Amino acid sequence: MIPAAPSTAHPAPDPSDTGRGAIGETDGTGPAGRTDAAVRVGKRPSPFIVAAAVTVSVLGLLPLGYVIVTGILTGWPTLSALVFRPRVGELLLNTIGLVVITVPLTAVIGVAAAWLVGRTSLPGHRVFAVLLATPLAVPAFVNSYGWVSAVPSLNGLWSGVLIATLSYFPLVYLPCAAALRRLDPTVEEAAESLGSGAWGVFFRVVLPQLRLPILGGALLVGLHLLSEYGAFAMIRFDTFTTAIVEQYRSTFNGPAANALAGVLVLLCLFLLIGESGARGRSRYARLGSGVARVTPRRSLGAFTPAGYLFLGGLFALAIGVPFWSVIRWLAQGGAGVWSEPVLVQSLLQTVGYGLVGAVVTCLLAFPIAFLAVRYPSRLSRGLESVNYLTSSLPGIVTALALVTISIRFVQPLYQTAVLVIVTYLLMFLPRALVNLRAGLAQVPVGLEEAARSLGKHPFAAFLGVTTRFFAPSALAAGALVFLGIVTELTATLLLAPSGTRTLAIQFWSKVNDINYVGAAPYALLMIVLSLPVTYLLFARSRLTSVS
Amino acid sequence: MIFSRRWALLAAIGTVTLLGATGCSAPEESAPAASDGAAPSGSITVYNAQHEELTQAWADEFTAETGVTVTLRNGSDSELGNQLVQEGTASKADVFLTENSPAISLVDRAGLFAPVDDATLEQVPEQYRPSTGMWTGIAARSTVFAYNPSLISESELPASLLDLADPAWAGRWAASPSGADFQAIVSAFLELKGEEATRDWLAAMKENAVVYKGNSTVMKAINAGEIPGGVIYHYYWFGDQAGTGENSASTQMHYFKNQDPGAFVSVSGGGVLETSANPVAAQAFLAYITGKGGQEILKTGTSFEYPVSDSVDANPALVPLSELDAPVIDPSELNSTTVTDLMTEAGFI
Amino acid sequence: MTSAIELAGVNKSFGSTRILEDIALSVPEGSRTVVVGSSGSGKTTLLRLISGFELPDSGTITVLGRTVAGPGIAVAAHRRGIGFVAQDGALFPHLTVGQNIAFGLGPALRGGTRKQRARAVDELLEMVSLKADFAARRPDELSGGQQQRVALARALARQPRVMLLDEPFSALDAGLRAVTRDIVAETLERAGITTVLVTHDQAEAMSFAHQLAVLRDGNLCQVGPPREVYWRPVDLFTARFLGDAVVLPATISDGFAACALGRVAVAPTGLRGDACIMLRPEQIMVEHCETGGADAGTVASCTGQVEAVDFYGPEVQLAVRLFSGGAAASPSAADAGTLVHVRQHGTIGTIVGSRVSLTARGTATAFAARP
Repeated sequence: MIPAAPSTAHPAPDPSDTGRGAIGETDGTGPAGRTDAAVRVGKRPSPFIVAAAVTVSVLGLLPLGYVIVTGILTGWPTLSALVFRPRVGELLLNTIGLVVITVPLTAVIGVAAAWLVGRTSLPGHRVFAVLLATPLAVPAFVNSYGWVSAVPSLNGLWSGVLIATLSYFPLVYLPCAAALRRLDPTVEEAAESLGSGAWGVFFRVVLPQLRLPILGGALLVGLHLLSEYGAFAMIRFDTFTTAIVEQYRSTFNGPAANALAGVLVLLCLFLLIGESGARGRSRYARLGSGVARVTPRRSLGAFTPAGYLFLGGLFALAIGVPFWSVIRWLAQGGAGVWSEPVLVQSLLQTVGYGLVGAVVTCLLAFPIAFLAVRYPSRLSRGLESVNYLTSSLPGIVTALALVTISIRFVQPLYQTAVLVIVTYLLMFLPRALVNLRAGLAQVPVGLEEAARSLGKHPFAAFLGVTTRFFAPSALAAGALVFLGIVTELTATLLLAPSGTRTLAIQFWSKVNDINYVGAAPYALLMIVLSLPVTYLLFARSRLTSVS
Repeated sequence: MIFSRRWALLAAIGTVTLLGATGCSAPEESAPAASDGAAPSGSITVYNAQHEELTQAWADEFTAETGVTVTLRNGSDSELGNQLVQEGTASKADVFLTENSPAISLVDRAGLFAPVDDATLEQVPEQYRPSTGMWTGIAARSTVFAYNPSLISESELPASLLDLADPAWAGRWAASPSGADFQAIVSAFLELKGEEATRDWLAAMKENAVVYKGNSTVMKAINAGEIPGGVIYHYYWFGDQAGTGENSASTQMHYFKNQDPGAFVSVSGGGVLETSANPVAAQAFLAYITGKGGQEILKTGTSFEYPVSDSVDANPALVPLSELDAPVIDPSELNSTTVTDLMTEAGFI
Repeated sequence: MTSAIELAGVNKSFGSTRILEDIALSVPEGSRTVVVGSSGSGKTTLLRLISGFELPDSGTITVLGRTVAGPGIAVAAHRRGIGFVAQDGALFPHLTVGQNIAFGLGPALRGGTRKQRARAVDELLEMVSLKADFAARRPDELSGGQQQRVALARALARQPRVMLLDEPFSALDAGLRAVTRDIVAETLERAGITTVLVTHDQAEAMSFAHQLAVLRDGNLCQVGPPREVYWRPVDLFTARFLGDAVVLPATISDGFAACALGRVAVAPTGLRGDACIMLRPEQIMVEHCETGGADAGTVASCTGQVEAVDFYGPEVQLAVRLFSGGAAASPSAADAGTLVHVRQHGTIGTIVGSRVSLTARGTATAFAARP
């Protein structure tokens, strides 16, 4: 459900490291994050920081714990009756079909696009490099709305594959494009000198080195497919997540919804384990210092028109169609659709939640990132993994858990903005974590120590030296969380205080009434809010590839 | 120094939005009025499963008349009904409005409602409210079979909802079974024909029906010729006709009548929560909806639902309720839990 | 000896920057040629032109009698059959050592059985003096020198008759560098492979090369055997690039120069009149002279005073200020006070302020121009 977003590095070879929402920067070139220079040996972290990190992580275990506990409380007879029924079979078939078809498709398209813009002399490749990242700014459910507007008869598996592929291929494209730029060109030349032609070099040398970014991207695509609701509900394609939402609509948090959530969680774990297995123990470290040389671009020759057709077609289908639909509805609605007073309120509320959520998430992710970088240990790795796991769960599961837990045990929080922010925190923490960690790792401890030797208090030294270094990473972390929140639908629907009208909620309410004209301004506003963040992500992926 | 200025700006933006978000997200509950005679004031929260546009129109009008702020929490019948049951006494809701009666009966059975003011009940004829007086009907809607005349001739139309279980109808009719509307129709079926017949009919429906999400979508598909016909409520058709007609221009409506389950007239309900922090305003809101002002909005507005008050006629475009020959069902008898279980068992949800 | 590689009139520019200018080079078959130049001199580009990763703007390149680049001809790198070892080895990070080496095996072996391939890999590892169990390791588990040797083994797998090495030892530390260099040289020698190596390290260049080519700003200034280039550089730049040089003004007649160090034999002998001469520091012998008087018996001697002593362990470098108008005939007063750096065994107990007499041995190189 979260039109996810790429992020910068999360290099650990941990199975869960590409937590949902973090296009883990499985950059394929080994751990850039944890440098020895940044590690503090022989000292203990402040107990406050440890306590904060542990608290946030324990909070992160709530949703999974909820699924397990309700499963146990429901009891096996009821549970098995709810799980082993034809409907679940249907959903399983649909969901697995969707994943099995879409994931390889996005991988092929993402890699092909990355190669075309990164390695060929196709005129305009620079422009395409940016354009192909823009689908990330269009939430999948808005994309679906655009497609349903253009082709009303869309429904079922293949329509789901179409829309999901167009929405999610950048999750593979961006990390692959970044990794391609980082590959050592001399390695490819070595293959050439050993007699490999262009195709041979690509398949025997380039593609294998892209394994980690492809796997990381594919995992993200898979997790998005499992958690997306709106996009598939609109084309009448039932997956586990749409079915859980329907159960929720019929029973609030009844046992059937929880049973489905349990199966969905198993599917997520299956994906995580599968990715980790495929990744293996390998890490492809770049050997030696390499040469500061850009790999020469190849001319496509007679295939140039085909290259254009592919890139142009991809862009037209992924961005052109939804944009055209939005603009068509806007034109049809005229000035009237903009006069709704709720529009401004909705925009402010969305931006407010986005900013507060981003700041809170970054602040609370910091202790975990700090421990991971400065005091790497079994504990810090464990804390990190917990958070990646939680964010891999679909938002509907997290939301169901928090609704129930807050009603039963923490009623003062129930239906408050605080609970919504906590949910965002759990869902999007890894986005902040990977960026903060990468940023912290780039700051040599030596600088901080130098400041302390010049008479600064440790905290002042940290503020004065370290924060300035990692400010850009923190900004990227916040931006990613912001992007996630702006386009979040299901969890917000379930948890927000009465009267909350974020852009996504308003959009969805209009779409449900088949008021496509009225939904268009909200769609446009979501895209406009997301575009700068998407560009920031694109720019950062280029930046890290140079350094 | 550029850096510190940037930080200052960020901090400023953060502070402002924090204030903004907290300011606009948690509506303050006002103190309850001292006595029954007091004028309504403060604010109320309405758990609204009715069409958002309709309730919003009621709320706006009510606010204009009384100054009471109305906050809506929108959702579906069963969702909000079950939510209220889960929330129990901790609920922040003051009023619950539904599209159909099963969900409101659910909350009633959980004992969460305060009795509706007598004056309010007097505004609603007895057949549109339960005898307990714990809630009241606020509007009504009729089941119809919408069809595309280019795909189905008048002579082929089903005489009863039961006919749609016939294999001849395989792949030829649509519905939105995950919605509360259709589930209300099933609850009427259950009430009229019993559990066995309902289970069988749902099993046949699973074979025959094409499933869409939302009545509008069903109508849109019929209009587009994707499917010959479908079971929906009447007002979707009239609403679209009154607008652009783009989703209904090529469709017609067929009323089952004959007290068939398919002629079921569903009553939308409204009730005041026992735990309401502002019962005066909550009761006043319900009184307003069932009174002349609120019912007029049903007649003149774009909802095309039937008013339940004797004092207000239905929109003249509609077939009068009295001509629909609907089956007689006590709205408080409709059971949503069994229906949900049957629907789950049949594999619709 | 026929040439394995022949470059004629090769020019290469990147944009408006001229990288290589009118390069002509002939590499005899089975020999090792080292192209030495400072960074930015164009040496890597030269290598990339031969390997086929770049194409010349003009000129022709012939490898083993086949024109691989020239007017209308551009043979792709993978069709040239030239081995190439990059600066840091460029091993495939996703493959094991064995797989890296097998990557280059010819089609016959690639299609062969697993055993055949494994044996071929073992043989290649042995060729570069690595044990067979290295085959299972991953490249990042190897030291820099081992990586280089694997890269060489991988390139050798294709049994190329020509091998190009791009600064292959520069990433290694000093001790490893010499060992690796020797192993590589020996391996190539045994296989009879024509080799071109580029480096910026003069010592490495001279030790490795049969033929040395000095590249400066895109021009080849001198090509020849290392000794010849070292002792008889064609110009002062080359002289100073290959090692320390003592350059003195001199007047030349009949194959001898008269300079601050007295009379020194010079080459080439054709020069006459005012010129300057270049001596390597190791040609100058230092002796303590207590009296300050010159020993008339030596061929050329003079006296100076030690101004600085740099101790390097096995040897010391002395900065000697020559006396103005010393005992030896000084052709011009302007030479008086010249500072000369000489190297001596560390055992010499010279201290700052000592008076010494300097004697030139062997033949100096004369240049027409004054320094």
